[in-house]
Amino acid sequence: MPELLKNLRQHLLTGVSFAIPFIACGGILIAIAIAFAPMTPTGPDFSQTPWLRLINDIGSISFKLMLPVLAGYIAYSIAGKPALVSGFLGGYLSDQVKAGFLGAMLAGLLAGYVVDLLKKIPVSKHFRPIMPILVIPILSGAFIGVVMLKVLGAPIHSLMAYATDALRAMSTGNSVVLALILGCMIAFDMGGPINKTAFFFGAAMITEGNPLIMGACAAAICTPPLGMGLATLLQKGLWSPEEQEAGVAGIIMGLTGLTEGAIPFAAADPIRVIPCIMSGSAIAAVIAMVGKVGDHAPHGGPIVLFAVDHRLAYLLAIVTGTIVTAVSINLLKARNQRLAETREEKAA
Amino acid sequence: MKIVAVTACPTGIAHTYMAAARLEKVGKSLGFDIKVETQGAMGIENKLTEHDISQAEFAIFAVDIAVEERDRFNGVKVIQVPLQEALKDPHSIFAKIQH
Repeated sequence: MPELLKNLRQHLLTGVSFAIPFIACGGILIAIAIAFAPMTPTGPDFSQTPWLRLINDIGSISFKLMLPVLAGYIAYSIAGKPALVSGFLGGYLSDQVKAGFLGAMLAGLLAGYVVDLLKKIPVSKHFRPIMPILVIPILSGAFIGVVMLKVLGAPIHSLMAYATDALRAMSTGNSVVLALILGCMIAFDMGGPINKTAFFFGAAMITEGNPLIMGACAAAICTPPLGMGLATLLQKGLWSPEEQEAGVAGIIMGLTGLTEGAIPFAAADPIRVIPCIMSGSAIAAVIAMVGKVGDHAPHGGPIVLFAVDHRLAYLLAIVTGTIVTAVSINLLKARNQRLAETREEKAA
Repeated sequence: MKIVAVTACPTGIAHTYMAAARLEKVGKSLGFDIKVETQGAMGIENKLTEHDISQAEFAIFAVDIAVEERDRFNGVKVIQVPLQEALKDPHSIFAKIQH
């Protein structure tokens, strides 16, 4: 069972890794188009600017392609090339029946496992060459098509609609709790699987028309390396020369939205560093959520500022989270040093 | 002893390359002749040739996602670990080989 779950994670992450550039391309093109078009109560107005409409349309198509790519490469991860057809079909149909990324993930898994089974059917060697190019794609494609259109499509659609509505209608209290959890997840493993789960939830919600989740994630993503970097600048005496160097690198990585910049610190002193970066990220995510920060690009940090709504609140969230992390880690470090010194004195 | 390795993480912009650098450094310090291929957001870089793979006694996959062009490694002994392990404790991976 743990083996199966580990593989499942690997398959889903493979699909995600191929899908991320499509979300980035679509989200940023749409954000650019919206930023330059006049805003009306019913949304941006492209009637006077055909070029911006074109850019907006290209972005939307990139979003639409994201679902087939996600499902296709989940299936590919499970069963290789022959699974691409049914995976892509399943992802496209998931868009058609409005089952969203949840439907696409399921379609990809199903397509992959079905093809994996079909590959195991023993056939005479005369038939073998036509299996991967004819028999498997047709059988698995037809199967996925029927399942998505006639069986799974409708229930997943209602589930997605319910989840999206629930997220949109979330009261401030609930959305703060969500932001708190997402912030902690983002900081906990700094770019690892838990971080990626929160990140992909945010990225997928952009394509569902709710950029607020990604806004909270984007603020949380950059505060761990920024906070650790600021800490090394504030009290140089607490940090070794190597750590001060890692601090500068951390600030650069934080500005470009790479949580990984905090890893050198967390690896050296996990028990003190991880709670400090988690609290900083959680606070940043909550401020961003309360400030209605929306992020249209699946990336975090100050570098995506141009794709963000409510930019002041976004910057406030980042600055506050950074300071919380820096001050708390320095307090803990200083206390630890004092304890060590008194212990030495006693020993002497 | 010749070893080949592949690193790959979901986003492929940071961890993939950090793990590759770590494996290379630790591998060389332990006296292995190691070549590491990265499968990141840029696709396959420092690609392992057929010659590299046929000469190698072991292949290390430090990956969180599926390895691309896996067929190349048919017939090679593969040690697969989560990518985090190459960052946290690369020595344990090489220890598996020495046993």
